Amino acid sequence: MTEYENRPVPEGINYSRENPLKEFLLLCAALLGALAVLLFSLSLAAQKLAPLIPFSMENRLVAQFASSLPARSETERAERIDDYLNQLAAALLAQRELPEGLELKLYYSDSPMINAFATLGGRVYVMNGLLREMDSENALAMVVAHELAHILNRDPIVAMGRGVTVSLALASLSGLGNTGAADWLIQQLGMATISGFTREQERAADAMALEMLQAHYGNVQGAERIFALMDGQRAEPPELFSTHPLSRKRIAVVREFARQHPQHGDLVPLPNFMGEEVE
Amino acid sequence: MIDLIVFLTLLALGYIFGRIAETRHFKSIQQREAELADVLAFSERLPPPSDEPRRIALVGGNVVISVDYFKVIAAGLRSIFGGRVRAFESLTERARREALLRMKQEARNLGAQMVVNVKLETASISKGNKGQVGAVEVYAYGTALIASPP
Repeated sequence: MTEYENRPVPEGINYSRENPLKEFLLLCAALLGALAVLLFSLSLAAQKLAPLIPFSMENRLVAQFASSLPARSETERAERIDDYLNQLAAALLAQRELPEGLELKLYYSDSPMINAFATLGGRVYVMNGLLREMDSENALAMVVAHELAHILNRDPIVAMGRGVTVSLALASLSGLGNTGAADWLIQQLGMATISGFTREQERAADAMALEMLQAHYGNVQGAERIFALMDGQRAEPPELFSTHPLSRKRIAVVREFARQHPQHGDLVPLPNFMGEEVE
Repeated sequence: MIDLIVFLTLLALGYIFGRIAETRHFKSIQQREAELADVLAFSERLPPPSDEPRRIALVGGNVVISVDYFKVIAAGLRSIFGGRVRAFESLTERARREALLRMKQEARNLGAQMVVNVKLETASISKGNKGQVGAVEVYAYGTALIASPP
């Protein structure tokens, strides 16, 4: 005669009694780590490859972004400033051999912002707000030289290459996982990757700009002006969270450079038409 | 940013309520399993040979349990790395045992002491539909042997 028996169901075999939160956090950390490694290596690769893109290609690219660049102002003053900026750039670069295909174009913009930036296609924009704060040609030359250095270092195309690669990688990763939430998470990460210049690029541009100033004027007077302006303008976030080195440190770099190089000659004033009011 | 807040809120709600529901359910399952321990259930196809007169009846129990948002995300993460999907293991375990309990309850209501040829059917509700919270269905059924008085 067979004995029939049902034993109590053993617990903890078919399912885990561990707190699910532990596994969840572990997986989150692993995913974020893997993503970070992937994005970092991709952006590094883009960074290495982007400078190989010829300038002619960059010029064609910039035509597509033309609408997002500052509007040109047609006034006589703007044209004179444009000419003046281009002459200043040519003077600063006089000692350097320019890469093939590079067409530098400096533009004045009516914006009241205290800003200047370099972008694709060898273009540099200098805002009116910044011009008004410059007390000498040397100070302005530092800003212009810094932006020219970005262009000579191919920083705009590197930043774009990095941005495009990272967003492409994130877009293709969205297919990963089988829940809508995974897509969402990846989108959020993409937004967090801002494609600006890195602190290292800024430091390199500063150093190159100082050399340009030294070569052109025989001194680096006035180079501190822009950093002093930035220092006084607003509270700076800690360096780790900023794309630029701390203004304090940049001033220290200028002073160190001045100490190591012979300084002769005086500040050069800005031409008079700069101070004229915008109509 | 608002997306992130919604996401984290859903995740926290899913975790808290899912966890409470699961703990309670397991407690209730264990308790009822003890109560229904005298109704035996086997996958054996044929009833044990017996000379006593008996009736037979089909008994079944059905349950649908929904996943919570936390489990969905946890399983989604798992699907990237592979391995045991622990988030769903406890869910299916609960569903199986609950379905068996309901089947046993029906068997007891009929006065049966044993159910043979027990089988489990399972289905996923809203199968494969992206963005929908899924649920698992388990149906347990078998042949109840009811001693009938002579």
